Amino acid sequence: MKEFMHRFLHNKLAVAGSLILLLFLLSAVLAPVIAPFDPYYMDSTAVLMPPGGKHLLGTDNMGRDILSRIIYGSRISLQVSLVSVSIATAAGVFLGVLAGYFGKLTDGIISRVIEIMFAFPEVLLALLIMAILGPSLNNIMIAIGIVYTPIFARITRGAVLTVKESLHVEAARSIGVSDFSIIVRHILPNVLAPILVQITLSLAFAILSEAALSFLGIGVEPDIPSWGIMLNNGKSWIEIAWWVGVFPGIAIALAVLGFNILGDGLRDVLDPRLRNVEN
Amino acid sequence: MLRYILKRLVSIIPVLLGISVVVFFAVRLIPGDYATVTLGTQYTEEAAAALRQRYGLDQSIITQYFIWLKGILTGDFGFSYISNQPVALLLFSRVPVTLELTLFSLLMAVLVGIPMGYWAACKRNRMPDSAVTVLGLLGISIPGFWLGTMLVLLFSLTLKWFPSGGFVPLSEGILANLRCMFLPALALGVAVSAVVMRSSRSAMIEVVDQEYMKMGKAKGLSQTRLILKHGVKNTMIQVLTILGLQTGSLLGGSVVIEQIFSLPGVGSLALQAINNRDYLVLQGTVLFIAVMFVLINLIVDLLYCVVNPQIRY
Amino acid sequence: MKKRISLLSALILSAALVLSGCSDAPAEYGDSKGSGESDTSEAASSGVQDTSKETDGDQLIVAIQSDPSGLDPHMVTDKAAGICIENMYNTLFTYTEAYGEVAPSLAESYEVSEDELVYTLHLQEGVKFHSGNPMTSEDVKYSIERIMNGGARASQFDKVSSIETPDENTVVITLSSQYAPFLTYLANSLNAIVEKAVVEENGGSLANADAGSGPYKLEQWTEGSSLNLTAFPEYWEEGLPKVNSLVLKTIPDATARATALRNGEIHMIIDAIDQEIAVLKGAEGVTMESVPGTFWEYVGMNCESEYLKDVKVRQAVANAVDRDAINTAVKMGNAEVLKEANIPSTHEYYGGDEVYPARDLEKAKALLKEAGYGEGEITLKITVGSDWQYQVDAAQMVKQQLAEAGIESEISALESGVYFDGLNQGDFDLTICGWSGFVDADEYLYNLFTTGGAYNQQKYSNPAVDELLEQGRSTLDKEERMAIYKEAQKVIAEDAPMAFLYMNNFTVAMRDNVKGYTVHPTATTIFLKDVYFE
Repeated sequence: MKEFMHRFLHNKLAVAGSLILLLFLLSAVLAPVIAPFDPYYMDSTAVLMPPGGKHLLGTDNMGRDILSRIIYGSRISLQVSLVSVSIATAAGVFLGVLAGYFGKLTDGIISRVIEIMFAFPEVLLALLIMAILGPSLNNIMIAIGIVYTPIFARITRGAVLTVKESLHVEAARSIGVSDFSIIVRHILPNVLAPILVQITLSLAFAILSEAALSFLGIGVEPDIPSWGIMLNNGKSWIEIAWWVGVFPGIAIALAVLGFNILGDGLRDVLDPRLRNVEN
Repeated sequence: MLRYILKRLVSIIPVLLGISVVVFFAVRLIPGDYATVTLGTQYTEEAAAALRQRYGLDQSIITQYFIWLKGILTGDFGFSYISNQPVALLLFSRVPVTLELTLFSLLMAVLVGIPMGYWAACKRNRMPDSAVTVLGLLGISIPGFWLGTMLVLLFSLTLKWFPSGGFVPLSEGILANLRCMFLPALALGVAVSAVVMRSSRSAMIEVVDQEYMKMGKAKGLSQTRLILKHGVKNTMIQVLTILGLQTGSLLGGSVVIEQIFSLPGVGSLALQAINNRDYLVLQGTVLFIAVMFVLINLIVDLLYCVVNPQIRY
Repeated sequence: MKKRISLLSALILSAALVLSGCSDAPAEYGDSKGSGESDTSEAASSGVQDTSKETDGDQLIVAIQSDPSGLDPHMVTDKAAGICIENMYNTLFTYTEAYGEVAPSLAESYEVSEDELVYTLHLQEGVKFHSGNPMTSEDVKYSIERIMNGGARASQFDKVSSIETPDENTVVITLSSQYAPFLTYLANSLNAIVEKAVVEENGGSLANADAGSGPYKLEQWTEGSSLNLTAFPEYWEEGLPKVNSLVLKTIPDATARATALRNGEIHMIIDAIDQEIAVLKGAEGVTMESVPGTFWEYVGMNCESEYLKDVKVRQAVANAVDRDAINTAVKMGNAEVLKEANIPSTHEYYGGDEVYPARDLEKAKALLKEAGYGEGEITLKITVGSDWQYQVDAAQMVKQQLAEAGIESEISALESGVYFDGLNQGDFDLTICGWSGFVDADEYLYNLFTTGGAYNQQKYSNPAVDELLEQGRSTLDKEERMAIYKEAQKVIAEDAPMAFLYMNNFTVAMRDNVKGYTVHPTATTIFLKDVYFE
């Protein structure tokens, strides 16, 4: 652990990514303190105000302060990404361990299901699930969670397969240690590194997915200050009021960049051999 | 190897069947059916029942699935409830748009991503490498749909170089067609190019690091020649795999991009079908996309096997 | 994904009258040179062997906001389909340039019996369908019966008791009771006369067929892209249509539409939305024409839901809503605020009692108190269709305004399918929705506000209103009829099954060289046949 921290702190990428994310974390936590306006409040006397002056980043077509909405939006983005990736990790690791450790029929079924889910482009799958569940913040987290489950299952399964044959697992099995404790003690720690990297990358993708779905109008509830919704709205005003659509996009790109940089850094720190893993 | 190919071909059959099941039932799980959507506020029980009967929606869901599956196997995808046109025909008219969009984006990835990745690998830890690293990170972080909007703002609304949306078929002039595809392909292609660039960089670095390359260097071969001679060949497999994988996300990404640029592609057909609850069209479209993706991966796998026959499976 | 007008706004208006066709149409789709501005698409040059150079005179390209849902005049309810259909078909009567007035069309002349129950229609002679067959009384009878049996607008004909065809050119329609709006409904462009033989050939569905006699005939429909129509050479109205081919191009995105018009890639935008208007204002080569329209929007209140079944709560909502503020924020101040019911001040039958002259927050709070509710004790569910962004926006403002009066609410923006489902099943408290294309006062009120009315999703019921609206239907004397509707509007506004918001303007944006188009409040495009280029 100590060594990990040392290497982490000496990796420029990892530190840079963490700093960007820290900024977002702070803005999410301190939103009520730092946001200059109520992000929901519509001021029909201050519609489409350009940046500068009282509204630093301007207002949207309903007179809402864009800066405040972006600050509150970081809460939504972080919430969506954390919850959905937690769902995906939990479900994916569980399935992956089942498939990898027990093999045979279990593996056959789980692997087929994973393969089938992989056949659907992420956006399309998320879109279908959202159409079934209906648009809401909770549902979008579930939908994105489901979409990213197979990748975790696949990575875990692969890692389990390599660890399973190793000497210390064989040894543990031969002295009658239960499957459960073998999994917890010997297998999970060994799949931690690739999973951790995948988590960081998935967090980035989750933010993008939420924005994309909200952008298509089937994401979160319309008055929630989600960056994707702001972009969707901004797009129709792009010619009259560029600021409505430009700033939320920058926020998304920055947050995603933070996770991606951190992911790259983590990958180097944890295991240089993982360098070639791409989403 | 032949055995492997056969085995691989057989193995996708259950996957394809599974896809058909998922597609069918996912689509039918979507709340609100065709009748309610079509009738809108003019909904009455009788009118809805009549509509459902007309399209066989009153049969049991299992029966409907098998009827559909049987149709698919005989090449009959059914008809759109909305326009009465055969789904196959609809797909046929939409596929070229999405295909063109996807191909242009892939082309961009191949022409820009791969060389830049290799270049960065050669100049490792120097300026070009850092620049490529930063560009790559930006490329995978900027949302394509936002980039699309920004491109419209800059190139279409401000500079007036390209149309802001709409589609001109190839048959009406290559130039006009290319003009309307340029911005969408760019918006979609940036992320793929970045991914490809990053992976070709790391693939090449790995190869460069390998012993025989070091040996080659010791023998006095120039680095560029080394890379051309061994590096490209040895990284091809990885890059190919990445390209195959990316095709899937391109198909997904085109849903959003087609929306932004008002392109009549497969993705916008799917969205439109979701909104209209036009089941057969939606099923056909999603099935088509998924099967395409499976087939692309199959081809990549087989190529893999051809390029590198000593890999054992 | 912004369809402009709700499915709801169905009832597309207007008839497809028309005049005759000219010559053949080379119509190689795609060439659309604007008036020399930058960026015209090159198209069409390659591959076309035709030596004739295409000019603006040959082809009119009109942008529509969504794909038509189908081409069956009697079945569709969406605006885009209406625009396509009304240029392919004719109706017995037709709207005229003056809003509310109706003139003969396929019915050249008509007589009404003394008791106003029997209409004898004499058909225009020499009218041919696109198939080349002549139109006969049999087709007219068939068409009306087709509407009555499962058509989307069947309720407009429920007073028809029999249709007879004494000869090829005469149709006798007998009504079960006097029915004032009858001719207006016969002029609705979707109550079109279709060719019986073509319907039967197509197995009963006209979803992608052409059974019309209109100025343009169907050439090709490319879903998601465009509908190409060519002038019908044997069209019965002399000299019409003036342009050889009409392309209805689907461009869902407002920015893309506005850009295409400025670049001369298209010639017209029917029903430009507020963003487009703002962008196109002062654009070179573009003219815009606005008239008070017929697209009105409202906050619907479910009169059977827990809180809103109490009229006082409904009135509180109607008083708490700030129509002017919503108009400013959502419509850029372009719409006309409705202070009574849904009939606008530009309509002959406007009631004129300003029941809600301005927002009255105090009154809203007082009403809530009278109803026995304290601050925050009521929570309402607002549902809107996510396809209509301006209604989603309005919902957010309504939410804020209700909160100021002490009513909490939650918004869910649903896809149109789920949305309408919920609306029809009464699964909502509040909704934001709209209708367009109404002409007669009966159309504005009857189906929406009678007990059990076909479009009465609010489940509103007031026997007094039912009686007034029945009377209005069968009263033929204009003065008397106006008094009835004046009363009805007042009662409806006070009962507040809806908080009426505003009536939108209808705007058409055109290239400068497009001439001859009548911008009609109902948004009908039947006048496209008159368009010519200068």
